[in-house]
Amino acid sequence: MVRPSAFGYGLIIKVEGADNRTVQMQEDKINSNESEGVFNDFVDEKISDMLDEVLTEGNLDNLGDRGSEIIIEIDDITVPTFTYGEEGDGQGGGGQGPGTEGGKIRFNLPFNKFMALLAEKLKLPNLTKEGKGKIKEVSYEFKTFGPIGVILDRKRTFKRSLRTSIGVGSYDPAHGKYTVEFLRRDKRFKVPQRVEKPKFKAVVFYMGDISYSTHGQRLASEKRMVNFIKNWLDYNYGARNVDHRFFVHDVKAYEVQENEFYQVGNIGGTRAAIVFDLIYQIAFGEYDTATTNYYGFYFGDGEIFGTDGQEIANILKENICPIFNRVGVVEVFPSQWSKLIVELEREFAGDGIVRLNRYRSNADTIVTIKKLFADSEQAEE
Amino acid sequence: MKLVKTDPILHELEARVMWHAKNMGRTLPEIRFFILDRIEFASLLEKHVYPTSPINMWEGKRMVTKKFKIESGQESSLYYEVVQTGNPSYAYLNNTNSAMTQASVMAHVVGHCEFSELNVLQDSNPDRTEYVMHLVKKVNMGQQQMGEKNYLQFWNAAESVIPLITPHSQYNLDRSVEDDTFRFHETETEDLAKPAQKMMKPFSHTMDVLLQHDSLEVVWKKEQTKKDHQEQISRRGFRLRQPCQDILGFLRRYAPTSQAEKAILDYLYVSHASQDFVIRSQIMNEGWAMYWEKKIMLELFAEEAVKGIIDYAKVFSGVCSPRPFFMRNPYHLGYHLWNHIEELYRDGKVDLEFIEETDQEKKELWKKPSKAEPLAAMEHLVRTITDYEFLRRFLTSELVETFHLNRIPKFYVNRIGLNKDTIIRDSEHFVWIDPELVKGEMLTFFTHFQRPRIYLVDTDFIDGGLLLYHRDDGQKLRKDWIRPTLKNINFIWKGAASLATGGVLYTYSNNRLAEKTLPETTFEQVLERMKKSEKPINA
Repeated sequence: MVRPSAFGYGLIIKVEGADNRTVQMQEDKINSNESEGVFNDFVDEKISDMLDEVLTEGNLDNLGDRGSEIIIEIDDITVPTFTYGEEGDGQGGGGQGPGTEGGKIRFNLPFNKFMALLAEKLKLPNLTKEGKGKIKEVSYEFKTFGPIGVILDRKRTFKRSLRTSIGVGSYDPAHGKYTVEFLRRDKRFKVPQRVEKPKFKAVVFYMGDISYSTHGQRLASEKRMVNFIKNWLDYNYGARNVDHRFFVHDVKAYEVQENEFYQVGNIGGTRAAIVFDLIYQIAFGEYDTATTNYYGFYFGDGEIFGTDGQEIANILKENICPIFNRVGVVEVFPSQWSKLIVELEREFAGDGIVRLNRYRSNADTIVTIKKLFADSEQAEE
Repeated sequence: MKLVKTDPILHELEARVMWHAKNMGRTLPEIRFFILDRIEFASLLEKHVYPTSPINMWEGKRMVTKKFKIESGQESSLYYEVVQTGNPSYAYLNNTNSAMTQASVMAHVVGHCEFSELNVLQDSNPDRTEYVMHLVKKVNMGQQQMGEKNYLQFWNAAESVIPLITPHSQYNLDRSVEDDTFRFHETETEDLAKPAQKMMKPFSHTMDVLLQHDSLEVVWKKEQTKKDHQEQISRRGFRLRQPCQDILGFLRRYAPTSQAEKAILDYLYVSHASQDFVIRSQIMNEGWAMYWEKKIMLELFAEEAVKGIIDYAKVFSGVCSPRPFFMRNPYHLGYHLWNHIEELYRDGKVDLEFIEETDQEKKELWKKPSKAEPLAAMEHLVRTITDYEFLRRFLTSELVETFHLNRIPKFYVNRIGLNKDTIIRDSEHFVWIDPELVKGEMLTFFTHFQRPRIYLVDTDFIDGGLLLYHRDDGQKLRKDWIRPTLKNINFIWKGAASLATGGVLYTYSNNRLAEKTLPETTFEQVLERMKKSEKPINA
């Protein structure tokens, strides 16, 4: 007798002969991977919706610390049925779709995943170092453990063997039995895992004008953008491979700690060109230009005097543009006397490296970020 | 997933367990044992104990949650036994368990498989697992036809109807729906209404009419009703004779679905249908499994095929620990009841002589071997009754006390809203309530299983819409879920879906839910009207 007891789904059992039955089995693994995938897609959709909201409101404050996981909360889902009980806090759900129970599901979303989704939403390109290929390289590390392989993990194998030996009674110190049997199924091997590591390092120069009062909305907007830039570059290069350096200027330029970047303030004259010159000196003097990616972002009210604008344009054109990946100049809440971008537009309108933007309200956060990081064509849109 | 024969120790244990089971005269199907790792085990449970399942979000959600809990230590991954009964039966062992535990699992499975073979609800069927795997294949093919979006949409809608599967209800599909394909089984009420001698007459409707001397009006009415029924079947393919509680069963058979949609309904129905059997026979079933598990394990310990009898005793007592009646432990209650029944038959305490004995002292010391073989009598019970009758017949007030079913921890007293008048004594940590009340409560469970009783009472309610009726058990349905559930039924039926509950009629149609107050109609009134071929509820 042959019983066609399976229909091609991994489990293949063949039974032959009423008396002399032999069972052949194709080993397979029971898993719910595909269903988990569908659920994960659903969660991704929810997160994507949530990101839409974040982006619409321009609120990027909750990105978390560098490299940390982001806690995401979405409405719990459950199948609506006729059941006894009190009404939940939430609505009864979306008909054919899942119903909500009023509760929440919490996810720890890895920082990299979150940034990838954000990048997808913002249509931001992968950052590359010109002439050097992808900024990430692939390598293999022995991280995981499996039942087959080449490098035996002795510690894990011994632990499993000891457990089995205790189970089958061959290791029983109370009765003077000390035999630890090494069965094949107890062996655990180190298995290589593909890992992507950043290949290059990056340095980011944040420049701020402290000659105007940096407080209130201006301060919050600058913080928001700096925070995003930090996270975006950390995501691309790996947090350990990015130097974030902060500079301020009035009539002089000097480096400060991050917290001081938002605190210092001065009223009086201002000269912006010196801060561009300073970062160029540091970029050239302290870093290897062949393997370092340079980014510079300037935030100020754009109120400049004399030949300051032309000097900045010259420094950018002659010194900075040849070695920098990207330079952004943002006028935060510009006034009628703001002239920096007007002057720079003569030289850099539509430029691939120097990006200019005016930030007039919180709604401009996303526009600014897109303009700073998007490809040339997208930046023109 | 490995066959048990790949592990020599377990393979040997399996052979010993099966040898003892056969030696003890057990009626067993072919049982196939497999060894799984912990994640496979978790996945198997989410697939309702079948090795494959179609893609669906709910399984994914449960597995993601379960994996997280297992990995973060919030949930143990130690599952002792999982078996899909049928012939062949598929039993799964967890590879992290000790040899002694694996042997006890195999012995336990023996009990379940035999119970499935013998029981009155005829649970066991040939190639059940294989059939579900076949349905999975059909669903997967259907998914290609439907497209992913439509597939998930229909699947999610069908999930809402899963609790409405009741193949063993008094109002199941075969008894409630008449069609031109399936033979109608007469209801008990109608059987009783017909005098026995009339059954003996040769059938001739014309002759009956002539002999009964009915008035022309009555004859005309009867003929008209008969004609209506036949026309209804001819037009729609079916006719609802009485309320139908097996609503997914009905939709699966009669909803206007595509082949792909039908495959989804078929899979969900078949893979969940055995839950109805489980809930109606869980105490007998688990008790039977524990009873035979212990017998086989004692043999294995005696022949030293396995070691660790003290550990086994600890596990056994843990599994069979007593719980209050509302948290009933089927292992504990079933195992002790079967032992009690064995003792009753062994000592002749089921004979008329014992029942008629009035001297309490004599009764307590009674020991007269019965004519009935205890084991044969127990098997007869398996073949003839379910949990309700099992408890009704054998659970006495004394046993309620002995099994601690009426002993309730004090911290539960307020939580479950226990009436203080029912407490008969208390101690520092526990209170004891009247054992008679306990038995009543336990039997009441089997009328509704603490779930809403929903019946399909009209299939032509509003423009060919379905009308569901919620039978009043003194509780209200969760209101905010009525709309999405009706919407899902509407999506499957592709017509209006209505629900009458607590004097309100909810109708979902054209993406809109309408609410309307109705005069209260009892279930008995609905039954009566349907019997007369009248509309059970008028909109």
